[in-house]
Amino acid sequence: MNKSLFALVLTLGLGSLAGAHAATPAPALNDAQIAHIAYTAGVIDITAAKQALQKSHNKDVRAFAQEMARDHAAVNDQALALVKKLGVTPQDNPTSKSLASGAAAEQKKLAALSGSAYDKAYVANEVAFHKTVNGALSGTLIPSAQNAELKSLLETGLKLFQSHQMHAEHLAQSLK
Amino acid sequence: MFRMMILMFGLLAATGGFPPASAASAAKARVHVIVIDKMQYGPMPTGVRAGDIIEWTNKDILEHSATARDGRFDVDLKPGASGRITATAGTLAFFCKFHPTMTATVVVE
Ligand SMILES: [Cu+2]
Repeated sequence: MNKSLFALVLTLGLGSLAGAHAATPAPALNDAQIAHIAYTAGVIDITAAKQALQKSHNKDVRAFAQEMARDHAAVNDQALALVKKLGVTPQDNPTSKSLASGAAAEQKKLAALSGSAYDKAYVANEVAFHKTVNGALSGTLIPSAQNAELKSLLETGLKLFQSHQMHAEHLAQSLK
Repeated sequence: MFRMMILMFGLLAATGGFPPASAASAAKARVHVIVIDKMQYGPMPTGVRAGDIIEWTNKDILEHSATARDGRFDVDLKPGASGRITATAGTLAFFCKFHPTMTATVVVE
Protein backbone atom coordinates (compact mmCIF):
# COMPACT_ATOMS: atom_id res chain seq x y z
CA MET A 1 0.00 0.00 0.00
CA ASN A 2 1.37 3.41 -0.89
CA LYS A 3 1.64 6.35 1.50
CA SER A 4 -1.32 8.29 0.21
CA LEU A 5 -3.62 5.29 0.47
CA PHE A 6 -2.31 4.64 3.94
CA ALA A 7 -3.08 8.23 4.89
CA LEU A 8 -6.60 7.79 3.59
CA VAL A 9 -7.12 4.59 5.54
CA LEU A 10 -5.97 6.47 8.64
CA THR A 11 -8.33 9.37 7.94
CA LEU A 12 -11.30 7.06 7.47
CA GLY A 13 -10.26 4.71 10.25
CA LEU A 14 -9.84 7.49 12.79
CA GLY A 15 -13.27 8.78 11.91
CA SER A 16 -14.91 5.51 12.86
CA LEU A 17 -12.71 5.04 15.94
CA ALA A 18 -13.66 8.45 17.24
CA GLY A 19 -17.29 7.51 16.68
CA ALA A 20 -16.92 4.32 18.67
CA HIS A 21 -15.02 5.67 21.67
CA ALA A 22 -16.09 9.26 22.23
CA ALA A 23 -18.62 9.89 24.97
CA THR A 24 -20.62 12.04 22.60
CA PRO A 25 -20.69 10.82 18.98
CA ALA A 26 -18.11 12.56 16.83
CA PRO A 27 -19.62 14.58 13.99
CA ALA A 28 -20.19 11.91 11.36
CA LEU A 29 -19.95 12.56 7.65
CA ASN A 30 -23.09 14.09 6.25
CA ASP A 31 -24.71 12.92 3.00
CA ALA A 32 -23.30 15.85 1.03
CA GLN A 33 -19.78 14.84 2.06
CA ILE A 34 -20.42 11.14 1.51
CA ALA A 35 -21.70 11.84 -2.00
CA HIS A 36 -18.59 13.93 -2.66
CA ILE A 37 -16.26 11.15 -1.49
CA ALA A 38 -18.00 8.47 -3.56
CA TYR A 39 -18.06 10.71 -6.63
CA THR A 40 -14.38 11.62 -6.16
CA ALA A 41 -13.43 7.93 -5.94
CA GLY A 42 -15.22 7.35 -9.25
CA VAL A 43 -13.54 10.30 -10.96
CA ILE A 44 -10.13 9.10 -9.77
CA ASP A 45 -10.65 5.66 -11.25
CA ILE A 46 -11.90 7.10 -14.55
CA THR A 47 -8.83 9.35 -14.76
CA ALA A 48 -6.54 6.40 -14.07
CA ALA A 49 -8.38 4.39 -16.75
CA LYS A 50 -7.94 7.15 -19.33
CA GLN A 51 -4.23 7.24 -18.60
CA ALA A 52 -4.11 3.45 -19.01
CA LEU A 53 -5.87 3.70 -22.38
CA GLN A 54 -3.22 6.18 -23.52
CA LYS A 55 -0.27 4.20 -22.22
CA SER A 56 -1.04 0.48 -22.30
CA HIS A 57 -0.76 -1.82 -25.30
CA ASN A 58 -1.89 -4.89 -23.40
CA LYS A 59 -5.29 -6.12 -24.64
CA ASP A 60 -6.49 -7.31 -21.21
CA VAL A 61 -5.30 -4.19 -19.40
CA ARG A 62 -7.06 -2.00 -21.96
CA ALA A 63 -10.29 -4.00 -21.65
CA PHE A 64 -10.10 -3.62 -17.88
CA ALA A 65 -9.50 0.13 -18.15
CA GLN A 66 -12.46 0.49 -20.52
CA GLU A 67 -14.63 -1.35 -18.01
CA MET A 68 -13.47 0.91 -15.16
CA ALA A 69 -14.20 4.06 -17.17
CA ARG A 70 -17.61 2.79 -18.29
CA ASP A 71 -18.79 1.48 -14.89
CA HIS A 72 -17.64 4.42 -12.80
CA ALA A 73 -19.08 6.92 -15.28
CA ALA A 74 -22.45 5.12 -15.06
CA VAL A 75 -22.44 5.17 -11.25
CA ASN A 76 -21.32 8.80 -11.12
CA ASP A 77 -24.05 9.83 -13.57
CA GLN A 78 -26.53 8.13 -11.26
CA ALA A 79 -24.99 9.87 -8.23
CA LEU A 80 -25.25 13.27 -9.93
CA ALA A 81 -28.88 12.65 -10.84
CA LEU A 82 -29.59 11.63 -7.25
CA VAL A 83 -27.97 14.64 -5.56
CA LYS A 84 -29.79 16.89 -8.02
CA LYS A 85 -33.08 15.22 -7.17
CA LEU A 86 -32.38 15.51 -3.45
CA GLY A 87 -31.25 19.12 -3.79
CA VAL A 88 -27.93 18.27 -2.16
CA THR A 89 -24.68 19.96 -3.18
CA PRO A 90 -21.73 17.57 -2.79
CA GLN A 91 -19.38 19.02 -0.23
CA ASP A 92 -15.59 18.81 -0.33
CA ASN A 93 -13.98 17.40 2.81
CA PRO A 94 -10.64 16.07 4.13
CA THR A 95 -11.31 12.50 2.94
CA SER A 96 -12.03 13.65 -0.62
CA LYS A 97 -8.93 15.84 -0.54
CA SER A 98 -6.81 12.98 0.73
CA LEU A 99 -8.15 10.70 -2.01
CA ALA A 100 -7.53 13.29 -4.72
CA SER A 101 -3.98 14.18 -3.65
CA GLY A 102 -3.06 10.50 -3.31
CA ALA A 103 -4.39 9.81 -6.79
CA ALA A 104 -2.53 12.75 -8.31
CA ALA A 105 0.74 11.46 -6.85
CA GLU A 106 0.02 7.97 -8.14
CA GLN A 107 -0.81 9.25 -11.61
CA LYS A 108 2.52 11.09 -11.76
CA LYS A 109 4.37 7.94 -10.70
CA LEU A 110 2.58 5.87 -13.33
CA ALA A 111 3.24 8.47 -16.03
CA ALA A 112 6.97 7.78 -15.70
CA LEU A 113 6.54 4.06 -16.45
CA SER A 114 5.93 2.25 -19.72
CA GLY A 115 5.36 -1.22 -21.18
CA SER A 116 4.80 -4.12 -18.82
CA ALA A 117 6.22 -2.15 -15.87
CA TYR A 118 3.40 0.35 -16.36
CA ASP A 119 0.77 -2.39 -16.80
CA LYS A 120 1.80 -4.12 -13.58
CA ALA A 121 1.95 -0.89 -11.58
CA TYR A 122 -1.42 0.32 -12.90
CA VAL A 123 -3.16 -2.95 -12.08
CA ALA A 124 -1.47 -3.23 -8.66
CA ASN A 125 -2.66 0.28 -7.86
CA GLU A 126 -6.16 -0.59 -9.02
CA VAL A 127 -6.21 -3.52 -6.58
CA ALA A 128 -5.02 -1.28 -3.72
CA PHE A 129 -7.34 1.59 -4.63
CA HIS A 130 -10.45 -0.58 -4.86
CA LYS A 131 -9.53 -2.27 -1.59
CA THR A 132 -9.25 1.09 0.15
CA VAL A 133 -12.53 2.39 -1.26
CA ASN A 134 -14.27 -0.88 -0.32
CA GLY A 135 -13.07 -0.44 3.25
CA ALA A 136 -14.33 3.15 3.30
CA LEU A 137 -17.69 2.24 1.79
CA SER A 138 -18.43 -0.66 4.13
CA GLY A 139 -16.80 0.80 7.25
CA THR A 140 -17.76 4.45 7.10
CA LEU A 141 -19.74 5.73 4.12
CA ILE A 142 -22.62 3.24 3.97
CA PRO A 143 -23.22 3.16 7.76
CA SER A 144 -23.14 6.98 7.89
CA ALA A 145 -25.44 7.63 4.92
CA GLN A 146 -28.84 8.95 6.02
CA ASN A 147 -30.78 9.04 2.76
CA ALA A 148 -32.08 5.61 1.72
CA GLU A 149 -31.50 6.16 -2.00
CA LEU A 150 -27.93 7.32 -1.40
CA LYS A 151 -27.34 4.29 0.84
CA SER A 152 -28.71 1.98 -1.86
CA LEU A 153 -26.50 3.54 -4.54
CA LEU A 154 -23.47 3.19 -2.26
CA GLU A 155 -24.35 -0.46 -1.66
CA THR A 156 -24.43 -1.10 -5.41
CA GLY A 157 -21.17 0.87 -5.58
CA LEU A 158 -19.63 -1.43 -2.97
CA LYS A 159 -20.61 -4.54 -4.93
CA LEU A 160 -19.16 -2.92 -8.04
CA PHE A 161 -15.89 -1.97 -6.35
CA GLN A 162 -15.57 -5.48 -4.85
CA SER A 163 -16.08 -6.95 -8.28
CA HIS A 164 -13.53 -4.62 -9.84
CA GLN A 165 -11.08 -5.53 -7.10
CA MET A 166 -11.48 -9.22 -7.91
CA HIS A 167 -11.11 -8.53 -11.62
CA ALA A 168 -7.97 -6.48 -10.94
CA GLU A 169 -6.56 -9.28 -8.76
CA HIS A 170 -7.12 -11.85 -11.52
CA LEU A 171 -5.49 -9.49 -14.01
CA ALA A 172 -2.52 -8.89 -11.69
CA GLN A 173 -2.03 -12.67 -11.48
CA SER A 174 -2.04 -13.03 -15.25
CA LEU A 175 0.54 -10.24 -15.68
CA LYS A 176 3.09 -12.00 -13.47
CA MET B 1 -46.83 -6.32 -29.99
CA PHE B 2 -45.33 -9.72 -30.72
CA ARG B 3 -42.38 -8.86 -28.48
CA MET B 4 -44.74 -7.88 -25.71
CA MET B 5 -46.61 -11.13 -26.01
CA ILE B 6 -43.36 -13.04 -25.84
CA LEU B 7 -42.35 -11.06 -22.80
CA MET B 8 -45.67 -11.61 -21.01
CA PHE B 9 -45.52 -15.24 -21.93
CA GLY B 10 -42.03 -15.35 -20.51
CA LEU B 11 -43.06 -13.70 -17.27
CA LEU B 12 -45.97 -16.07 -16.85
CA ALA B 13 -43.75 -19.00 -17.60
CA ALA B 14 -41.10 -17.78 -15.19
CA THR B 15 -43.59 -17.45 -12.37
CA GLY B 16 -44.92 -20.88 -13.17
CA GLY B 17 -48.38 -19.51 -13.91
CA PHE B 18 -48.55 -20.94 -17.39
CA PRO B 19 -49.25 -24.65 -17.65
CA PRO B 20 -47.06 -26.13 -20.39
CA ALA B 21 -49.99 -28.03 -21.92
CA SER B 22 -51.98 -24.90 -22.86
CA ALA B 23 -48.84 -23.41 -24.40
CA ALA B 24 -48.48 -26.26 -26.84
CA SER B 25 -50.28 -24.59 -29.75
CA ALA B 26 -48.44 -21.25 -29.40
CA ALA B 27 -44.94 -22.55 -28.86
CA LYS B 28 -43.36 -25.58 -27.27
CA ALA B 29 -40.51 -23.70 -25.64
CA ARG B 30 -41.16 -21.75 -22.47
CA VAL B 31 -39.30 -18.52 -21.75
CA HIS B 32 -37.60 -18.11 -18.38
CA VAL B 33 -36.54 -14.60 -17.49
CA ILE B 34 -33.60 -13.78 -15.23
CA VAL B 35 -33.59 -10.14 -14.15
CA ILE B 36 -30.26 -8.43 -13.45
CA ASP B 37 -30.20 -5.39 -11.17
CA LYS B 38 -27.88 -3.76 -8.65
CA MET B 39 -24.91 -5.94 -9.48
CA GLN B 40 -26.71 -9.26 -9.13
CA TYR B 41 -28.66 -11.91 -10.97
CA GLY B 42 -32.22 -12.22 -9.67
CA PRO B 43 -33.90 -15.49 -8.64
CA MET B 44 -33.07 -18.45 -10.86
CA PRO B 45 -35.95 -20.09 -12.74
CA THR B 46 -36.82 -23.66 -11.84
CA GLY B 47 -38.29 -26.40 -13.98
CA VAL B 48 -36.30 -25.37 -17.04
CA ARG B 49 -36.26 -28.02 -19.77
CA ALA B 50 -33.86 -28.48 -22.64
CA GLY B 51 -35.21 -26.47 -25.59
CA ASP B 52 -36.71 -23.74 -23.37
CA ILE B 53 -35.53 -20.15 -23.72
CA ILE B 54 -33.50 -18.50 -20.97
CA GLU B 55 -33.66 -14.72 -21.22
CA TRP B 56 -31.58 -12.23 -19.24
CA THR B 57 -32.98 -8.72 -18.79
CA ASN B 58 -30.51 -6.12 -17.57
CA LYS B 59 -32.28 -3.47 -15.48
CA ASP B 60 -29.03 -2.23 -13.99
CA ILE B 61 -27.21 1.01 -14.89
CA LEU B 62 -24.11 -1.10 -15.64
CA GLU B 63 -23.20 -3.32 -18.57
CA HIS B 64 -23.15 -7.02 -17.67
CA SER B 65 -22.89 -10.37 -19.36
CA ALA B 66 -24.10 -13.92 -18.90
CA THR B 67 -21.07 -16.01 -19.75
CA ALA B 68 -21.04 -19.79 -19.41
CA ARG B 69 -18.20 -21.29 -17.38
CA ASP B 70 -17.84 -24.01 -19.98
CA GLY B 71 -17.93 -21.53 -22.85
CA ARG B 72 -21.21 -22.66 -24.43
CA PHE B 73 -22.70 -19.15 -24.39
CA ASP B 74 -21.59 -15.56 -23.86
CA VAL B 75 -24.41 -13.00 -23.86
CA ASP B 76 -23.50 -9.30 -23.66
CA LEU B 77 -26.08 -7.17 -21.89
CA LYS B 78 -25.88 -3.41 -22.12
CA PRO B 79 -27.97 -1.42 -19.59
CA GLY B 80 -31.66 -1.95 -20.44
CA ALA B 81 -30.94 -4.74 -22.92
CA SER B 82 -32.08 -8.36 -23.02
CA GLY B 83 -30.47 -11.45 -24.47
CA ARG B 84 -31.51 -15.07 -24.76
CA ILE B 85 -30.26 -18.57 -25.35
CA THR B 86 -31.91 -21.91 -25.98
CA ALA B 87 -31.27 -24.07 -22.95
CA THR B 88 -29.39 -27.32 -23.30
CA ALA B 89 -29.56 -30.03 -20.66
CA GLY B 90 -27.20 -29.88 -17.73
CA THR B 91 -26.12 -27.54 -14.97
CA LEU B 92 -25.46 -24.15 -16.50
CA ALA B 93 -22.98 -22.23 -14.39
CA PHE B 94 -22.52 -18.67 -15.61
CA PHE B 95 -20.92 -15.43 -14.49
CA CYS B 96 -20.45 -11.84 -15.58
CA LYS B 97 -17.18 -11.48 -17.47
CA PHE B 98 -16.92 -7.85 -16.31
CA HIS B 99 -17.88 -8.47 -12.70
CA PRO B 100 -16.54 -11.85 -11.56
CA THR B 101 -18.35 -11.59 -8.21
CA MET B 102 -21.62 -12.09 -10.15
CA THR B 103 -22.22 -15.83 -10.48
CA ALA B 104 -25.26 -18.10 -10.76
CA THR B 105 -26.36 -21.58 -11.81
CA VAL B 106 -29.46 -22.81 -13.61
CA VAL B 107 -30.37 -26.49 -13.76
CA VAL B 108 -31.80 -27.60 -17.10
CA GLU B 109 -33.57 -30.97 -17.19
CU1 LIG C 1 -21.56 -7.43 -14.50
